[in-house]
Amino acid sequence: MMEFAQWLENTGFSTWVRESPRIWAFPVILLIHTIGMALCVGVSAGINFRILGFAPSLKLSPMGRMFPILWLGFWMNAITGTILVMQDATNKLFNIDFYLKMVFIALALVVLRMIRNRVFLDPQVDKVPLSANAKTLAVLSLVFWVGAITCGRLLAYVGPIVGSVG
Amino acid sequence: MESLNLAHFHLLLNHLPTISFVVALCLYFAGLVNGSESLRKVGLVLFFLIAVVALPTYFSGSAAERALCPELKCPPGVSPQIMRKHEDLALFSFVLMEITGFFSWLALWQLRKTTKIAGWNWAVVALFSIASFGVVALAAAEGSGIRHPEIRDAAEMALPAIEDAESTGIARSIGAVMAGNTGIGWLWPASETIHFIGLCMLFIVVLIVDLRLLGMAKGLPFKALYQLLPVGMLGFTLNLTTGLLFFLAAPGQYVNNIEFHRKIVLIILAGFNVLYFMLVDETWAIGPDDNAPLRTKIAAASAIFLWIGILYYGHMLPFLGNAF
Repeated sequence: MMEFAQWLENTGFSTWVRESPRIWAFPVILLIHTIGMALCVGVSAGINFRILGFAPSLKLSPMGRMFPILWLGFWMNAITGTILVMQDATNKLFNIDFYLKMVFIALALVVLRMIRNRVFLDPQVDKVPLSANAKTLAVLSLVFWVGAITCGRLLAYVGPIVGSVG
Repeated sequence: MESLNLAHFHLLLNHLPTISFVVALCLYFAGLVNGSESLRKVGLVLFFLIAVVALPTYFSGSAAERALCPELKCPPGVSPQIMRKHEDLALFSFVLMEITGFFSWLALWQLRKTTKIAGWNWAVVALFSIASFGVVALAAAEGSGIRHPEIRDAAEMALPAIEDAESTGIARSIGAVMAGNTGIGWLWPASETIHFIGLCMLFIVVLIVDLRLLGMAKGLPFKALYQLLPVGMLGFTLNLTTGLLFFLAAPGQYVNNIEFHRKIVLIILAGFNVLYFMLVDETWAIGPDDNAPLRTKIAAASAIFLWIGILYYGHMLPFLGNAF
């Protein structure tokens, strides 16, 4: 595992991302990661707030058109996130905080799918009041996204528990 | 001639909140007394604008101090103690002005729905605006004493200089706690996390409202979207609060950081953008499946551009500027 992490971290690309003084190496990759977060969590949280009863006159079915923006943000972050882990693999892959973040994101995605299937693909959407189940899903979605953001942000401060940079 | 620096900027801006507050207060209270909604509305718009202009006024103060006392050494006649008092009063008045601005915006938002300010809100705006004016006047009086010994009273002049005047005052104490100097190390990371959550809340509005106006998910009428706006304003409030804490903890990272100046300029422009949506009626008339007028589309596109720009400059603080 450690050898693999070291190999990942020492590939030419990882080294370039980490050490290049160019603004479009590390800084811009991290910037895209932040914008991707804003797109993904922004749209998702907007939908969740609506399900929870904010802005009740806002119809849900047209809001479904915003899903592509959410996925755009998600894939921006999947790609930049992979790069960010690669360039610091010996730390990130041994950091419990990183795995916690991955768990939160996985749970958020599962809940997002459930919201899509049970709320947006329901032919009765906007015609009948939302079920308590839908509201539970919205709360869970918000909790998981906040968890993912918290863990992600704290990655800058929390060190690995095993193995050190040396 | 010396080029214009941030200290000039502070001198230029620092009269604005005090003077325009007098005008705004008069208009608002005249509106309350004679029941004129348009007068009250002008007062609310002015309170909001003052809250926007207060940003560069407050943040340039720290730069003015550095220009006046380089390397923490003040020239004779300049009192660090008075400067600390001025800074504390400026901080209080800044916070009060931002609260006044927030509730003024909320009142403008409520006017859109009911054409009447909700029962409680006019009183909140009245209360906070009077408090802001009182404290900003004190801050201004204290501030003018920094460079004008002739207006200080004899008792104050007779006070012996305190050696560590630099580290006294409430603003400095908050900054020290925030920076972890008292042993609480988690405040900064926790605030960073809240800053990111606030950012996402802000982007709920930036994305859903502005993308709708640009033509995505046209089934949504603006009349329904407006209900989301306070979520964005709340996100901004979280970020202004945590941002202010970062500034208090490490002013040196920000005062002469060009990325920070650009960020503040874009936030001011975003403030005007918010006001545009509050004041222009044609946006509010956009129904389901309506195409937004070109002007509204330009305003919506600028909003997305401005907020991504604010995110960009905030993000680049440590990379292009000298922060952290």
